[in-house]
Amino acid sequence: MAVIEIEGVTKTYGTRRGLVDLDLAVSDGEVFGFLGPNGAGKSTTIRLLLDLIRPTRGRARVFGLDPRTDAVALHRRIGYLAGDFVVNPRQQVGECLAFLAGLRGGVPRQQVADLAARLDLDLSARIKSLSKGNRQKVGLVQAFMHQPDLLILDEPTSGLDPLVQQTFLDLVREAKAAGQTVFMSSHIMTEVEAVADRVAIIREGRLVALDTVARLRSQAVHRYTVTFAGPLDRAALAALPGVTDLTVDSATARFHLAGSPDELIGLLTRHRVAALQATEPDLEELFFTYYQRPDAKTAEAHHV
Amino acid sequence: MSSVMTQSLRDSHRGLAGFAVGTALVAAMYAGFYPQMADGAMAEAVEGFSPGLREALNMDDISTAAGYLGSSVFGIIVPLIAVIYGIATGTRGVAGDEEAGYLDLLLAHPVSRTRLLLHRFAALTAGAFLIAAAVWLAMLAVRTSAQLHSISIGQLTSQCLALALLATTFGAVAMAIGAATGSRPAALAGTTVIAVLAYAANTFATQIGADAARYASPFHYYIGGEPLKNGFQWADLGILAAACGVLLSIATVTFNRRDLTS
Repeated sequence: MAVIEIEGVTKTYGTRRGLVDLDLAVSDGEVFGFLGPNGAGKSTTIRLLLDLIRPTRGRARVFGLDPRTDAVALHRRIGYLAGDFVVNPRQQVGECLAFLAGLRGGVPRQQVADLAARLDLDLSARIKSLSKGNRQKVGLVQAFMHQPDLLILDEPTSGLDPLVQQTFLDLVREAKAAGQTVFMSSHIMTEVEAVADRVAIIREGRLVALDTVARLRSQAVHRYTVTFAGPLDRAALAALPGVTDLTVDSATARFHLAGSPDELIGLLTRHRVAALQATEPDLEELFFTYYQRPDAKTAEAHHV
Repeated sequence: MSSVMTQSLRDSHRGLAGFAVGTALVAAMYAGFYPQMADGAMAEAVEGFSPGLREALNMDDISTAAGYLGSSVFGIIVPLIAVIYGIATGTRGVAGDEEAGYLDLLLAHPVSRTRLLLHRFAALTAGAFLIAAAVWLAMLAVRTSAQLHSISIGQLTSQCLALALLATTFGAVAMAIGAATGSRPAALAGTTVIAVLAYAANTFATQIGADAARYASPFHYYIGGEPLKNGFQWADLGILAAACGVLLSIATVTFNRRDLTS
């Protein structure tokens, strides 16, 4: 069953485009990473799911319900961390969390205390005295504390130090183990890769890729270094589909290859190869190619 | 049980306490001048004013306690502060908190937009009644020393009740503009302009020959019936309450329709 279904959603702000014909489905119990550069439409998508804004066209469903008409019922089952989490700065952390828990009809105190302890958050501190990272921890506690069926987290690790980022990833793994669904946006691929079952990449309001991290990687450009024992056929290499940036240095050829290495292997079997090295694409680099590529991936993105 | 309403009140308790104490002190201080006015000094000064100005400033019977309080304490200074409270609270209640980003979090909780508005309106109303109650207590406290016995407690209560509804009405205007636009400057400036025009309409409508204009002004229903002389003006109070109801409905409909600003 799909927990989140987004069908043909377009959101325009005046003349500015927020989202263009977005389709997305997140399954029950899945950890779903939502990646894209700043301004790509990640927060817009998330705010649509919470009925903070409404789509211009298309429809979204959460647990099969309409985010607008069933907002209150849905929000009971959702924990949400906003991209710019703000609360009244004059409150104490504990007071603020108690108020938010009260809006949900109460949350066991121990639950809040445990989360705060794991994140090393002082419940008696005034919010205005907290650093950016510590405020973000307040946001994490209020999103996780009622153990919601669905966690919607917008840039959850922003401002967190690496140690707390690890604790956060543990919380996400535990949520998944407990059967909760997690939909999290980020612009850091490694963090998403560590926990996400699937990843969607959006750019300028359009979905440009949607797959597992492993499959996204396999489709991406790999860097090859081939050292030949015999003669080197530069022309044949250059003619292979998907080969770019070919440089030849005596017996060694270096190039990039997009997609399957099948034809390369066919070519190499007709030569004597002394050494072969294929480098996994760096994740940030992979991410970058999706960000920059105009529309090349759009077609592939839709059949998953 | 914590709710949006009690939290709104708690968040603003210092400001609200300041408004209540400040309004009460100012009211008591001005009321305390009455004995000096009653001996005729003020009446002589006012003699020099043109009849039109005297009528506009409600100073025709400045030497009676009800006339004096109606023109000074309840005519200008106290409603001014109470309306400022209403505008500030109504603006913050929707547009202010929305621009600050607080509403995103609240409305992502199991709180409908309608419920949020109702709670914010309830907090506004409670604050307005608290200020009016503080003024009422201050008037009772100085009643003897300021020689105000010609005004009954019932008459004083009716004027304070009208004061609470006046502040609530302008707060509801600010809430409605904020709910419709999401813009703090629009709510603040829009309501302030409306309040100034409404005050002017009530005060100067007769002079400029636009008598009907005063019936559009909340100030008319606040003090036009002279509660300090005539006691409870139930029709006027009803009109102010009905105006709040209409404004709250407008706020609810418009707020439910639009996107939250981020």
